[in-house]
Amino acid sequence: MKSLIAILLIVFLYPLLAWVSSSNSLFEAFGPETPLMQVNASLGLAIPSHYVNRADPKKVRIGGQLISEGRADTPQGKSNYISRFYACTSCHNTVREEEDISKVDSELRLDYAIEHQLPYLQASTFWGIVNRVAWYNGDYIKKYGDLVIAANKSLEESIQLCAQECSQGRELEAWEMEAMLHYLATLELKVGDLALSKEEINQLNDGSASNQNKLNLIASKYLPRSPATFAEPPNDKNRGYGMKGNVERGKAIYELGCQHCHKEDGVSDLVLDDAKKTFKWLRNNISADSQNSIYEIIRHGTYAEYGHREYMPLYTQEKMSDQQVEDLRFYIQEMAY
Amino acid sequence: MIKRVYIGVILTCFGIHAEAQYFAHKTFRDTRVVNGHSVETNNEGVAKFIISHRFGVINSGLSELFGLDQATIRIGMDYGIKDWATIGLGRSSFEKTLDGYAKVRFKRQSSGEMNFPLTLTGLGSIALNTLPFQNPSRENYFTSRLTFTSQFLIARKFSDDLSIQIMPTLVHRNLVSTLKESNDVFSCGAAFRYQLNRSWALSGEYYYVLPDQLAEGRYNAAALGFEVETRGHVFQFQLGNSLGMIEKFFVTETLADISKGDIHFGFNITRDFKLKGRKY
Repeated sequence: MKSLIAILLIVFLYPLLAWVSSSNSLFEAFGPETPLMQVNASLGLAIPSHYVNRADPKKVRIGGQLISEGRADTPQGKSNYISRFYACTSCHNTVREEEDISKVDSELRLDYAIEHQLPYLQASTFWGIVNRVAWYNGDYIKKYGDLVIAANKSLEESIQLCAQECSQGRELEAWEMEAMLHYLATLELKVGDLALSKEEINQLNDGSASNQNKLNLIASKYLPRSPATFAEPPNDKNRGYGMKGNVERGKAIYELGCQHCHKEDGVSDLVLDDAKKTFKWLRNNISADSQNSIYEIIRHGTYAEYGHREYMPLYTQEKMSDQQVEDLRFYIQEMAY
Repeated sequence: MIKRVYIGVILTCFGIHAEAQYFAHKTFRDTRVVNGHSVETNNEGVAKFIISHRFGVINSGLSELFGLDQATIRIGMDYGIKDWATIGLGRSSFEKTLDGYAKVRFKRQSSGEMNFPLTLTGLGSIALNTLPFQNPSRENYFTSRLTFTSQFLIARKFSDDLSIQIMPTLVHRNLVSTLKESNDVFSCGAAFRYQLNRSWALSGEYYYVLPDQLAEGRYNAAALGFEVETRGHVFQFQLGNSLGMIEKFFVTETLADISKGDIHFGFNITRDFKLKGRKY
C-alpha cells in the first residue's frame, strides 16, 4: 500500500514540482533583488568600467550628498560646490519614474509623477542610469556637438559633461567621481524591476536558448538608451499644437515641473508662484517670440550667458509631449482669469 | 515605528496636525525700498552690485537739463554671508562718503505650522566722511568723520501685491555743525510696495524726523519709486527730495523742499551675481 502511495505521489507531484521549479528558477538563482548587472554578467555580457560591484557605504553617502546638495561632508570638512548654480537633482530624479520602463510614454511618466508626487524634470532619472549603455542620446548632439561623442559612450564622461556644461560647474575630482559611481551603483536595476512574464522567465531558463537571445529579452524590458527628440514650438503659437489641454494635468506639470526650479529661493531667479499676476504674465507671453513664451522656453530652453550662467534646459518630446505643453497652457489660461 | 504611530494617533485625536511652513517671499523686491533698506537680505553666496544716481532738482530748468547736469552717485556691493545676514560696502560721491553695513533678518513672516505676522530685520551702518576738514586749524579727530545708524525694519506682506514696512531709526553723528543740532537723531520711516503686474511695481518711503533735532532748512525725506524687474536685474526709478542714498544723508541732510517743487530724479540698478553654491 505504501509503495502504491509513493508511486502515485511521484507520478502526480513530479510534473507539478518540475513546473514550479522551472518557472521560478531565475528568481531562485538570482532573486528579485539580484542586480541586473549580475544577471547580464552570468550571460556573458561584459561589466562596464563605471560599475561598482560592492558599493562602499561611506562613498555612497558622499556620492548621494554630492548629487543632492552639490557638495559633501568629508573628513577634511565641506567640499567645494561642483556648481554655483545647480545640484544634480535640479534636473534629475533619483527614483523610478515610470511603471513600465521598457518604453517611452510621457503620459504614463506624468501619471507616475502625479501618483508619487515626483518632480517632472527634463533629464533622465539616475535610477538605473548605470544599466544604460549610452547617454546624451539622439538630438543632444545638436546642443552640445562634439562634446557628446565621448559622453555618449561613457557614464563617467557624461557625468563630467553634465558637471561642467549642463550645470556650469567644474570638473569633478577623482574622489568625487568615485563616490558618485558608488552612489549610482545603489540605484541600479534589479531583476524584480523588470516586468517579466512567466513565459519570459521560462524563456530565460530554457537551456536551449542562446545567451544572446536572453540578453535581448532583458534589454527589451528596459531602455538601455533613452531617446531624446528635440521638438519645435508650434508654427502659430496662438493656435498652439492644436489639441485641447487638460487643466488638471497642466496643474501637475506646473507644480511638479516648472515650480521645481522656479520656486521661491529656488534655482532660478524667475519665481513662478501661484499669484494671478504671474499667470497673467505667462498667458500674455504665450504667443511671444521670446523665451517668455512657454512654447519657446520648453522647446528651446535658454543658454548660459556671460555674467548669467544659469539657464533652463529644454524639455525633449519624450520628457514633455506636445499634449502636455497644451495641458500646461490651458492651466495657465484658466488661472489667469 | 509603533511608537510613531501611537504619537500620530494621539496628536490626531487632539486635533494636532503637522502642517507645512510657508514663509513670505519677496516682501520687497530688492534690499532697498527707494533710498532706505527693506527687510530683504541677499541669499547666501549672492553678491549684489548696486549703482545709484541722484540728479539735481527737476525745477532747475533747461539750462541744467532739469537736474541731469548735476549727479551724485553711489556704487555699492552687498554680499549674503547667510540667507539671513548680509553685509555691504559703498562709496558715495556726495561728501565723498564711504559706508558699510550689516543687516540681520531675525524673523520671517510665516504661516502654517508656525504663524508669525511680520518680517523683522535689524540694520547697523557706519558712514565715513572723507572730505578734508572744513576747519583744519582746530584739533580734528578721525572719529568726527563718523556717523552711525541703527535701524529696525518691520514689514508685512499683506497680499501678493501689497507690502508695508515701518523703520524706527536712530542716526548718531559724532560731529554736528551747530550746538542746536542733536547728535542723536530719532526718526521713523514708513514704506510700501505695490505690485502693478509681474514685472512692474510702485514703491515709496517717508522718513519723519522728530522735531528739534536738525538744523533749519532740513526736511523729512520722501521718495516715490517705480520698479522694473528683469532677469537678474532690478531697475528702480524715483522722484524724491534727498540727494544722498544712505541713512546719514536722507534722514539728517535732506535739503530739498518738496512743497517748493524741489524734487530730484534718480535711479538704482542692481545686479545679482552668484559667487557661491548653495543647497537648492
